[in-house]
Amino acid sequence: MLELRDRQNTLLAIALTAATVAYLGWKVVESPEQALQFAFNGLSVGAIYALLAMGFTLVYSTVWFFDLYYGAAAAIGAYGVYYLRSQEALGGQYEVSHPSLNIAFGVITAAVVAWALHTRYYRRLSRRYGERTVTVAGGVIAVLAGLYMAVVLTFPTEMNTLLSPALGAIVALIVYAVVRRGYRATFGAPEPAAVVAAATAVGVLAGGAIALAVAGAAGSRLYLSWAVSCVLAGAVGLALYRGLYVYMLERARSPLIMLVATLGVLLALTAATTIVFEATPRPLPDAFGSDPWTIGGANIKGFNVFTIVMAFVGFAGLWVLLRRTSFGKSVRAVGDDEEVSKVVGINTTVVIAVVFFIGAAYAAFAGILTGHDTAIQPRMGLLLLLKGWIASVVGGIGNLYGAIVGGFVLGMIEQFGIWDLAGEWRDVVSFGVLILFLSFWPKGLLPRRD
Amino acid sequence: MAISAQTDADAAAEAPTPGLITRLARGNIELWANLLVITWAIVFMAWQGTGFAITIGTVFAIWAILAVSLNLVVGFTGLLSVGHVGFFGIGAYTMAVLTSNASYEAARTDAIPTYGWPFFAALPVAVVLAGVVAVVVGVAFNRFRDDIFVLVSFGFAIIAFNTFLNLREITRGAFGIHEIEKPAIGGWVIDGELEFLLFSLALLALVVLVSWLVVSSSFGRVLTAIREDEEAIAVFGYRVTHYKLAIWVISAMMAGLAGGLFASWTSFIDPNSFILLESMLLVSIVILGGLATIWGSLLGAMAFVLMEEGMRFLPFIPPEYVGQARQIVLGVLLVLLMLFRPQGLVGKYRL
Amino acid sequence: MTTEPADRTETTEDYSVETIDVSKHFGAVRAVQELSVSIPRRGITSIVGPNGSGKSTFVNLLSGVLPLDGGMVILDGVSLRVVHAHEVPDLGATRTFQEVRLFDQISVWDNIMVVLTSRKLLPALLERTKQEHRDEAERILKLVGMWEKRDSLAMDLSYGQRKLLEIGRALALNVQIYMFDEPFAGLFPQMIEPVKDLVRDLRDRGRTIIFISHNMDIVRELPEHLIVLDSGRLLTEGDVHEVLSREEVIEAYLGT
Repeated sequence: MLELRDRQNTLLAIALTAATVAYLGWKVVESPEQALQFAFNGLSVGAIYALLAMGFTLVYSTVWFFDLYYGAAAAIGAYGVYYLRSQEALGGQYEVSHPSLNIAFGVITAAVVAWALHTRYYRRLSRRYGERTVTVAGGVIAVLAGLYMAVVLTFPTEMNTLLSPALGAIVALIVYAVVRRGYRATFGAPEPAAVVAAATAVGVLAGGAIALAVAGAAGSRLYLSWAVSCVLAGAVGLALYRGLYVYMLERARSPLIMLVATLGVLLALTAATTIVFEATPRPLPDAFGSDPWTIGGANIKGFNVFTIVMAFVGFAGLWVLLRRTSFGKSVRAVGDDEEVSKVVGINTTVVIAVVFFIGAAYAAFAGILTGHDTAIQPRMGLLLLLKGWIASVVGGIGNLYGAIVGGFVLGMIEQFGIWDLAGEWRDVVSFGVLILFLSFWPKGLLPRRD
Repeated sequence: MAISAQTDADAAAEAPTPGLITRLARGNIELWANLLVITWAIVFMAWQGTGFAITIGTVFAIWAILAVSLNLVVGFTGLLSVGHVGFFGIGAYTMAVLTSNASYEAARTDAIPTYGWPFFAALPVAVVLAGVVAVVVGVAFNRFRDDIFVLVSFGFAIIAFNTFLNLREITRGAFGIHEIEKPAIGGWVIDGELEFLLFSLALLALVVLVSWLVVSSSFGRVLTAIREDEEAIAVFGYRVTHYKLAIWVISAMMAGLAGGLFASWTSFIDPNSFILLESMLLVSIVILGGLATIWGSLLGAMAFVLMEEGMRFLPFIPPEYVGQARQIVLGVLLVLLMLFRPQGLVGKYRL
Repeated sequence: MTTEPADRTETTEDYSVETIDVSKHFGAVRAVQELSVSIPRRGITSIVGPNGSGKSTFVNLLSGVLPLDGGMVILDGVSLRVVHAHEVPDLGATRTFQEVRLFDQISVWDNIMVVLTSRKLLPALLERTKQEHRDEAERILKLVGMWEKRDSLAMDLSYGQRKLLEIGRALALNVQIYMFDEPFAGLFPQMIEPVKDLVRDLRDRGRTIIFISHNMDIVRELPEHLIVLDSGRLLTEGDVHEVLSREEVIEAYLGT
């Protein structure tokens, strides 16, 4: 499983690993409470790295380059929550609301919706209703979606009311689809009209209930702001791919072209974030209160537990998506060979665009979770990005299991590494370990099997 | 017995070089870029006066030394390093620690060791120290390529920055080091703005000369071959790792020189001058100006410096956001270059 | 040098290249399995075999482009368990690549010059272009008909020209053994004859030439010695005409 370069390296690697294990063992024996504390901290930062690494891995294993935009996506996610919550949760102290930003994100949403409608329905519907009608209808829907997003961004204090119909509709559609599919899967026959009607009724009921519940619960605004931020960061990621990377990939000779281009995106977006929100670190409201529980001598914060759980949820979600759906099959096919996938009829642009959306949304979520845990600043994304990158490389480039393992391993290394040093040496430890690690295991812990 | 070039019809006689105006009209980007930057520089300096020109010139000289040295690695050898600021910082801190004013230090409660060396004794040490660190880093990095090389070079920049920030016994961390010595020859101290500019330009000229000697030698030709295909050039008997290490160290020493110069010029340094972002800007400069040409790096550095100064005069950009606005412009330029001109403005190598 | 003295012994043989039980695998794929061949000095040897029979892998092993997984290579009398690519010219061998690996973004001229200049680091740093190197590069470029193209980038050449330039780049190295990986593939028919002449000329000057080819006309005409590979194993080896008349060769490879 692990491939080593040659014999001297094998010896060195074994010696280093043994030394690490011995050091850890000694530490654990010396102070089990502290070891527990460090392990827990390691898991909770590791969870964030794992989320980022998963996004990285997903994109890397599809298009084979690292999208540095994710650094900006993490910052966009965190600042999105900040933006949406600033009017009520932070005591109105740093209230921000820019009409131009709302419009900009409205436009991006409209563009993404227009693109999605076009690729999904244009060909099918234009045959039935004529090209003109379909174009106009699609345009109108896209503009409405953009306006909707702009309105939501403009009135974040009413977010739950504003978003409840949309949320209800989405839930209704999902329930409807699940019931119909479930029927087909169980009985293996096309569903009768009665089942369709029942599915519709159940969907409408569930959607309505959710919509009412959300509209009535002011507490849901925080979580809605998470969702909106992730969607926006994802939409920007998708727009970057469809509007920019597609053209570059066509003529790129090397992965470095893409790397430099995404570096440019990162530079520009980071600077833009700084201009809008200023460079000073800002707090995000703590979602779960800050009273830690004490277990076995270690202080454990509820929010960190939540973070760790989210990493596993995120992993499970991606795993199901990649292994259990037809979309996942297409993703893997594109990763194996884009040209062949095109030939067998996969719309590679759509698949890759969705992959970019998901990856960026994961990065944004990681940014949000970090922001709640510590503080946010425009440059936070860069370091998060690098940590996620390292985690995905340490775990094994292009392997989803590697991403989550790499994230947690990196988190642990970082925390245990600073046991005898001051906390500020954390980044030195993680990058030092990265360089050492890559020297011996260039393919990572769990190399992707081709 | 020889083979005549019969495979292609395009071995036709070369057309005579068209004139300047014709080439401009045809949209010759290299020419336009040169003209634009040089005219911009001249107009700006004429408009803003000598004092401005002197400041700009010194800033330019330091960035240009960095850009030229980084181009040796990125453009000529094809190693996209984002960690160059680390060597710059090592040079600067060596200069600062060795030359900072001893009586000033003694007056502080958080004193760091000082040596009170003269500038010209400290500068070679700064250069050599950067080189020594580069040997260690280079040996560790030699096996990495492409995107993983980029990642570990990011790592080097971050390790270097954190070391400057946290090794407080030597660098005094975030408080920085004051009272750094100006260069002095005999009794003559180079502390005037103009003198310092000339001194910086002289060092830049030295760096350009050395770089030119390197890239135009047989060694330089091998570097470009390494960039194109490491395995193929190895088959012809070259030990690729040695060559890569050599140019890495040469480049790092030049960055160390720039660092020493920079520390002496500002007379105060703190870790904020050596953040990863600076390194990313530097890479942008090198790519913007042009890969694998020394002139391109000079051009890129000049454009970069002028960009910031030019933006100060744009009414719609508040002065505190000039740096950010420039970063946006650079980022967008980088994206556009990758789309349409991956060799940079006057470059010879496409990524 | 990481090669231990025990790994190298000087022998004097009639063979310029020998291999003993050379193996290479990529994961589960065994590209070359315990291959032992003896390639005679001063002559033309051809390696043939169906696609995927390990011909290119074999040449990559001989030239140190791929590390050996087992066995031993004897290059010009020096036995090696580890072949370092950068030592191969010193052992008297050079090669071309099947996929034509030129230095794309430098000029045709520099593509030749780069293999002529000093291998040592410091001398290379101090070395400016020497007249003897110039003359040699000019001779080579004229030999392969690329003199007119000397200032264009290698990437701007046509496929045939690239192929020729790569052969020229190998010829610029004055060594005993030349390994050409499919030198005739993809060439225009009128280009094949001159390349054959180049190969014959090398033989007349006492060099050893090893080439891989799919073109059976050339294999019947050019080499004296033939190695037939099949699925990474040696099918047979020997005098061309004798090998080509053997039953198993005709069955396994040549088909009709």
